[in-house]
Amino acid sequence: MKNIALTIFIVLVVVVLGLYLITFQVRETESALVTRFGKPVREITNPGLCIKWPAPIERVHRFDSRMQVFEADLGETTTKGAVPIIVNTYVVWRIAEPLKFLNAVGTVKEAEVKLYSQITDTQNRVIGQHSFGEFVNSDTTKIKFKDIEDEMLSDLKQTVSDEYGIEVKTLGIKQLKVSKDVTEKVFDRMKAARNRRTEKTISEGEGQATKIKGDANLKSSVLLTAAEARGEVIRGRGDAEAAKHYKKLDEDPEFAMFLRNIESLEKILKERSTIFLPPDAEPFKLLKKIPSLEPKK
Amino acid sequence: MAEEDKQSNNNLQPQVLDKSATEDLDAAGKSLSEALRISFIILKVIMAVLILAFLASGFKTVGSDEQALVLRFGKIRGVGEKRVLKPRTWPYWVFPYPVDTMVKIPVEKKVDLVIRSFWYYQTQERMLAEPSIEKMRVLPTLDPINDGYCITRSEKLDEPISGSGESDYNIVHCKWQLTYQIYHPERFFTNVYVKEVKPGDIYFDVITKSITPLLQSLFEDAIVTATVNYTIDDVMYEQVAGLTDDVRKLLQEKLDTIESGLKVVRIQMIDKTWPLQVDEAFQALVTASQDLETTISEARTYEERTLNEVAGPVAQELFEALQDKTISEEEMDSLWSQLAGTAQEKITEARAYRAKVVAGARANAEYFQELLPEYRKRPELVIHKIYQDAIERIFSNVDEKFIIPKGAEWRILVNRDPSLKPKNQQGAND
Repeated sequence: MKNIALTIFIVLVVVVLGLYLITFQVRETESALVTRFGKPVREITNPGLCIKWPAPIERVHRFDSRMQVFEADLGETTTKGAVPIIVNTYVVWRIAEPLKFLNAVGTVKEAEVKLYSQITDTQNRVIGQHSFGEFVNSDTTKIKFKDIEDEMLSDLKQTVSDEYGIEVKTLGIKQLKVSKDVTEKVFDRMKAARNRRTEKTISEGEGQATKIKGDANLKSSVLLTAAEARGEVIRGRGDAEAAKHYKKLDEDPEFAMFLRNIESLEKILKERSTIFLPPDAEPFKLLKKIPSLEPKK
Repeated sequence: MAEEDKQSNNNLQPQVLDKSATEDLDAAGKSLSEALRISFIILKVIMAVLILAFLASGFKTVGSDEQALVLRFGKIRGVGEKRVLKPRTWPYWVFPYPVDTMVKIPVEKKVDLVIRSFWYYQTQERMLAEPSIEKMRVLPTLDPINDGYCITRSEKLDEPISGSGESDYNIVHCKWQLTYQIYHPERFFTNVYVKEVKPGDIYFDVITKSITPLLQSLFEDAIVTATVNYTIDDVMYEQVAGLTDDVRKLLQEKLDTIESGLKVVRIQMIDKTWPLQVDEAFQALVTASQDLETTISEARTYEERTLNEVAGPVAQELFEALQDKTISEEEMDSLWSQLAGTAQEKITEARAYRAKVVAGARANAEYFQELLPEYRKRPELVIHKIYQDAIERIFSNVDEKFIIPKGAEWRILVNRDPSLKPKNQQGAND
């Protein structure tokens, strides 16, 4: 019994050691390449447990298959029409074909060197086919920024896949700039444009204010005129109503006019008047003598 | 086992040994045998404990802010939803390493990433300086290596400025903040590069640090791509929400394209400014815009006051009604009845005049009709009486009366000194 246990234990150890020597794991985040005496024999891109001849017959080379980002330096290039622009392009890439990658590149560092030159080449070629107005334009329908990025991606994708076993997942321009001297001109233009708008704003403000005030004056004038017209109508109605009462004076117009004259005289001489009179004016002639009166029978 | 050892030891004893020596050896053998037996038992116990510990190491917990994947020989275990282990109150058991490996992904944590690469270069000293001093130190140009900025399109002009075509552009500085989280642990684990976690490292920090360059590049790309579609005024004031939304969509699209398993939670433009080099011109426009508002506001006040003085609150409505030929008489009368101000005074004056004229005419007529019968009976006396009464009243009101010799001219001076106020007004003023 004891011998059996010992035997099982030893067999177990041997099996574990044997498995350790002839198996290897490929994780979800990796791909692997098996070489036999240095010559690549198998490419493993699916994760799981794999079998190999023990070292030194077969060796496993592992590659991280996850996405990595690489950006080229900020570089100046020219658009169609020779407008210089400064761009910074990045790529998101992964090792897709370990064998091709190992043969053509070897390491991630070396891959980045290759990518740098390829990105620069693609950048210059594709951007050179597009005018600056396709990057930025006052007419948004003419902006082709995303299309240019896509064009650069498809250009680069094929090249690096065929040559280096690298898959470029995406590409983009993360900085779009202009040269130092050009910025000064841009500022001059920005200032000029702003100054124009300032002047326009000031004149617009004055114009609007004048219009508002003018409208207000016009409205008030219209309203006052309308009120006066309405007042005239009311006065007219008053005069018409008054005229109805004057009909009653037809019975003795002379007497009516006498009364009216008396009334007017009183009104006219009501205040601050000076009168010069002859001495025989009624009733001042009484000042001269006593009148001779006889009673009427 | 000890018995076997004992027998084995006995077999090895030389036949030449004497009896006492044999007894001594038996005692030593026994001791050795006993020691070996105990050691073997201890070894068994240790092995059992180690096996148990090995198995127990398969118990794993998933934190409340995490989700986990189990790799069996490097491949994600399970199918469908079972591939991802979610937090629960009791632990999971997985085969210990090297069979299974549990990878925990923090899915609930939201991480902020600030982008300052579109801001002008500032040293620590410049950051702390007063804005006025900062402006004094401004260079006439921007250095593309050190100064960051975004390019925005210019306003669409009816007539483009000569030579510029339609590709005029402006420059704006901005700072952004991205808040993101992992929403698809499997995609994130399999596709996004994360550095190896070394002893002492915090896994979450390693993740954050590893994905920052990727996110920064994608985020900056989205900002540059979106900003060229907006004007500087859109970025500064009018379309901030639209721009932010566009950046968010572009970034999420990129993240989905590369199957990153990352989600944009929020994007904010945390700061923005026009270049310091054009500050004066931009400030002048801001001031002019404010002045414009003030001027218009004052004009509106004037309009309101003028109309209010003329016709009261109903002024505008009445004005519009006067222009409207279709408005009914009733509606018009209703508006006139609500009138106030100067116009109302004019209407009131007219009404007063009407009342006065009518009343005066009526009074005159009545007075005349009252006197007429008496006048017909004694015309001379009535005339004389009325005349004398009137003369009395007139002379009593006249300031000065002169009686001049016969034959001299006599004249009446009415209101001879306009500066003199009427007596009743003098009294009121006194």
